[in-house]
Amino acid sequence: MASLELQNVVLDYPIYGASARSFRQTIFGRTGGLIKREGERQSRVVVRALENISFKLEHGDRLGLIGHNGAGKSTLLRMLAGVYEPVSGEIRVEGRISPLFNSIPGIEGDDTGYENIRTCGMYLGMSRAEIERKLPDIVDFCELGNYLALPVRTYSTGMLTRLGFAIATAIDPGILLLDEGIAAGDARFAQRAEKRMQELMERASIMVLASHSTALIEASCNKAGLLEAGHLVAIASVEEIMETYQQRTQPANAS
Amino acid sequence: MTPDYRRALIDIIAGAENWRVWTRMGWQEIRRRYRRTMLGPFWVTLSLGLFVGGMGFVWAPLFKVPVKDYLPFVTTGMICWTFTSSIIIEGCSTYTSAESLIKQLSLPLSMLNWMLVCRNTIVLFHNLLIAIIVYAALGIIPSLNFLLFFPGLVLVCINGVWMGILLGMVSARFRDVPQLVGSLVQVMMFVTPVFWYASQLSAARANLLLYNPLMHLIDVIRMPLLGQAPTLLNYAVVIGMALTGWSLAIFVFARFRRRIAYWL
Repeated sequence: MASLELQNVVLDYPIYGASARSFRQTIFGRTGGLIKREGERQSRVVVRALENISFKLEHGDRLGLIGHNGAGKSTLLRMLAGVYEPVSGEIRVEGRISPLFNSIPGIEGDDTGYENIRTCGMYLGMSRAEIERKLPDIVDFCELGNYLALPVRTYSTGMLTRLGFAIATAIDPGILLLDEGIAAGDARFAQRAEKRMQELMERASIMVLASHSTALIEASCNKAGLLEAGHLVAIASVEEIMETYQQRTQPANAS
Repeated sequence: MTPDYRRALIDIIAGAENWRVWTRMGWQEIRRRYRRTMLGPFWVTLSLGLFVGGMGFVWAPLFKVPVKDYLPFVTTGMICWTFTSSIIIEGCSTYTSAESLIKQLSLPLSMLNWMLVCRNTIVLFHNLLIAIIVYAALGIIPSLNFLLFFPGLVLVCINGVWMGILLGMVSARFRDVPQLVGSLVQVMMFVTPVFWYASQLSAARANLLLYNPLMHLIDVIRMPLLGQAPTLLNYAVVIGMALTGWSLAIFVFARFRRRIAYWL
């Protein structure tokens, strides 16, 4: 049974290529984390992206993360995916992590659709046999027919989105990490995509979804967390968090 | 063992275990080179062949060596040099060229290094075709010593992986490094006995040459192709390089692996 536990996790994001001198003082704002300087001569610029994050998720949990731009939603997801490692605190993961972020990485323009299905499938952690088993389903869903035998650089943007979506949603995720849901082509396709997305979410043991869309979180999550400048302000039922979120954004809108 | 070292070793082992992924990545890259060209990766082979032909024509008389001796020497030398130097040069861009994969997936990073060595090995076997043609044209049959080519190749590959880890990391952090390495490798081609004989130097200089690690790396694969056995010194240096190189690479990988994603 999958589980995911974070204890007092802190993540610093070092900035390279930015002169430390341009940051006259440490700045603290609503967007982004705390920017500070480190090192003997204060020469290193570091952003405290996540501060003291603790929560525990168990099988069946669907957590929706909400917050302003730069609040740390995507950074948190990337940390859970293992891309970034925390400076302190502990992450305990049981089960397979399946990150599914904005685009499908590793799509090669010169390779055919079929080749890309196989390569990307492997990147997403599928075995050879698993890919062959799911191939008919992917081919069927993306409706690209004979185009799949052509190099994907000949595809339109919409066709490429379809292909990426069909591959990405074919996985059997353990702990599914989603950033903003994944884009899906034209209106008719979008309808089928929504259903397929739903099925993917249902297959997952645990899901963490970062989104600005309160509707999406309300529809697909049973828990929600509010992130503000790297702090997890609250984690509770979706209703409670949405209320807090509305309250916190109201004064900003009024002024 | 600290957690950092444990994670680094897990990454390296998991990277190797994912051979299905990196062999596929390597092959796909080669296949891409075949697309829309008639010769594909054989273009490298062809240009190498022309180079070797020209060298044989001009340098053999210059060195006063019979073409029949010089041609196999320069052919195997260039093939092995191309292999080794490509691993070093391409090693610099291991991580920078795979930014989207590193930032979006949880794959072991070392997989990219295994892939690089795999791809270059496939290219090496393409290039060996020139040696076969040259040998056939000259009617040379290499002695059984050529079987030593395979253990030599394994040794070079093992060295190639640690070089890729180290160079890849340093290049991701300091973007000047690939240029620097590129220039150095170009110079090294002329101070390594690839197309001239070490025996042409005075004894003192030839001894100095023994400190050139690239010579040893090349010799463990080139000598067998010429039908000779590499010296014990060749093997000692190459194995020594693998041991010290891997220790250094693991040390740096353990300390800075977590930063790679931020450097990109």
